[in-house]
Amino acid sequence: MRNRLILSAAVVVATLALSPASRGQDSAKPGSVPDISGVWQVTKNQPKPFFPNGGAPFKTWGEEKFKAANPETNDPNLGCMPEGIPRFMFVPLPMEIFQVPTRVVIIREGTQVMRQIYMNRKHRDDLYPTYSGDSIGKWDSDTLVVDTIGFNDKTWLDSGGLPHSEALHVVEHIRRVDHDTLVDDVTIEDPMAYTKPFSAQQVYKLKPAWEIQELVCTENNKYTYQGK
Amino acid sequence: MRNKRRNKRLAFHITAVLLLLSFGGATYAHHATASFDMTNSATVKGTVTGFDWTNPHAYIYLDVKDAKGAIEKWSVEMGTIGMLARAGWKRDTVKPGDEITVTGNRARDGKPFLRLIKLAFANGQELTQSVQ
Repeated sequence: MRNRLILSAAVVVATLALSPASRGQDSAKPGSVPDISGVWQVTKNQPKPFFPNGGAPFKTWGEEKFKAANPETNDPNLGCMPEGIPRFMFVPLPMEIFQVPTRVVIIREGTQVMRQIYMNRKHRDDLYPTYSGDSIGKWDSDTLVVDTIGFNDKTWLDSGGLPHSEALHVVEHIRRVDHDTLVDDVTIEDPMAYTKPFSAQQVYKLKPAWEIQELVCTENNKYTYQGK
Repeated sequence: MRNKRRNKRLAFHITAVLLLLSFGGATYAHHATASFDMTNSATVKGTVTGFDWTNPHAYIYLDVKDAKGAIEKWSVEMGTIGMLARAGWKRDTVKPGDEITVTGNRARDGKPFLRLIKLAFANGQELTQSVQ
């Protein structure tokens, strides 16, 4: 009898563990995580540099890199290269967020199709530099806190050409402030390029009727990336 | 008093239209818009010779006759086809032989090249890249 009770309890626990609620699909249930899934579109457009140019606290290295950046000739985006993080979050094309217990996955229309945020693990100790770096996430109440390191230095922070080094550290606080609105507060820290951290905010609106479309950037790209 | 109110209302409408143009009409630029004169628009009328339904930009090619009858080959750049589709465009929206009028931002280098604001067909039908 007792064994049967234990078995029943185990079945209930297993069922709960596999239910959508515990997989982050229903924020109304206690103990579950907020639901940020869906198709989202930025409200602030890319052509304006995201971080105010004059406001960036440059170190000499960063300032020289910035002076060499020319959106018309050496923006990595011109060659359909990945945006990297955080610029991936600023592209004025829709992105869709998926949540599973181990990961938050973002796919988007754009040159860089996917971003993965690994939940509840530490940064790997065998990282090598990549465009996206290593993103790890955890829920702090209603906010997804994402910490990313492990970058190469081949991307810009924004369309205005703010540079970064491999020492870039990005912290994001992603929060669904109401049903239709998602906010990403982005803090940049890069001791090689900047004297102190600085922040920016992107706001997204839910687009329930939209689906992510294919975008093959090299199909008919008439712009040449003249950077290194 | 009445004029004042009317002016206010007019100003509001103009502001609303500008806002729509500045964001609704904004397209994904995988390049900077600095190469286009974004503060002025130009309008050309011509015959379509081709339409690239492609990424990262779609293009319309058209022959435009000048006052002396000489043909100048223009091209017009739009955003991605995903966003164009959301704005109501299709792969055969523009066909070779169509007579169209295009309003757009002209390339700063003086080349016959526009960034599309509005397309008008001979029958008066108009299309923009605006997505609501």
